[in-house]
Amino acid sequence: MPAPPHDPLERYSRQVRFPSLGQAGQRALLASKVTLCGCGALGTVLANHLARAGVGNLRIIDRDFIETHNLQRQILFNEQDVRDNLPKAEAAVRKLRSINSTIQIEPVVTDIDHTNVLDLVGDADLILDGTDNFETRYLINDAAIKLGKPWVYGGVIGSEGQTMTIVPGKTPCLRCLIETAPPPGMTPTCETAGVLGPAVAVIASLEAVEAIKLLTGANDALNRDLIMIDIWDWTFRQLKVAGLLGKIDCPCCKHRRFEWLEGGMGSHTTTLCGRNAVQVAARRPEPLNFAELSQRLEPLGEVRHNAFMLRFATEGYEFTIFPDGRAIIKGTNDIAKARTLYAQFVGS
Amino acid sequence: MATVRIPTPLRPHAGGQDRVETAGATVGEILANLGTAFPTLRERLFDGEELRRFVNVYLNNEDIRYLDDLATPVAENDEVSIIPAVAGG
Repeated sequence: MPAPPHDPLERYSRQVRFPSLGQAGQRALLASKVTLCGCGALGTVLANHLARAGVGNLRIIDRDFIETHNLQRQILFNEQDVRDNLPKAEAAVRKLRSINSTIQIEPVVTDIDHTNVLDLVGDADLILDGTDNFETRYLINDAAIKLGKPWVYGGVIGSEGQTMTIVPGKTPCLRCLIETAPPPGMTPTCETAGVLGPAVAVIASLEAVEAIKLLTGANDALNRDLIMIDIWDWTFRQLKVAGLLGKIDCPCCKHRRFEWLEGGMGSHTTTLCGRNAVQVAARRPEPLNFAELSQRLEPLGEVRHNAFMLRFATEGYEFTIFPDGRAIIKGTNDIAKARTLYAQFVGS
Repeated sequence: MATVRIPTPLRPHAGGQDRVETAGATVGEILANLGTAFPTLRERLFDGEELRRFVNVYLNNEDIRYLDDLATPVAENDEVSIIPAVAGG
């Protein structure tokens, strides 16, 4: 039977009937604002759950574009998106609008860094982690603790994943749990260890249900542990972390020193996990003029562009350049080399 | 003897094992003995005498940092877990 047009909750009826959510919970979801940081494997599953559940305002941030090897696990993308050279945030939002046209969804194609993170999360009730690196997670953690906003951490590799719900002042924060990120080479990457789609889906689904609880005030039902799951060997563990709060001499949540927000930590040019690629972050005050730039590059290699990105292949390197000046340079893991290439072909 | 659970990424440094029976009265003694048996594993866990700051150790399901750190006593049949940071996503 078709839904009566006067009842905006009808499309959510099956979750409204779940007693712990109910109509009040649904109304809270519809009135809520969520910033999703990263829209890859974890992020697409999170965005899918939240848009369908009726989170009223969803901001989806991602710095990357879609490649064929993403399709194995990044559930909102398809082959046409790869052919169209779409940024992940843009492609995700197009799919989500066709799934739920009644909510507000905003794509943001940018690299989250210390200069923009407070603006990107400032109006959100909740921040969700769909990132693939600790640098961005520490930035999110600093911003969340500073602004007093809850966030949910998730990470996956191979067949295993972890998630933890962070409520400022009530739970330990990410830096209480992991004081510093492992240096490159000390832990496996997506390239060396691989990752299974179902492992990502399990962790992202746990993050999503925590999001629904946080947005509807079901705080008593929140996860207070570090959850670790390995879907290959069937281990499900709940590690007790609550005792870390106050016990750890945490620079972030105890001393309120926001070292990542201040920009003193991390690099602005980074190698991308398992990709033989380097991201050069060179934000410009004015958007790049792609027409002009492609004219300049045409004699030097193969160039094509759309509204979202410019692709340029030369000397065994492939540049993907975004309007804000940021570029991903494929064909090297060497940061200095990447900076040189950027200066040579894009200009500083 | 207590059992040390080795996470997937470190198993190549522990002869491929996911669990290693190790003697010791404290978490520190157990990890020292484990490191003697598997020197490349020790390098991954310790920076000098200190645990690396991105490696967490749990006794059963409790983080040793709110117990007694490396001095935390370990009983027969206890389980010590090495928990790495998981970055992907």
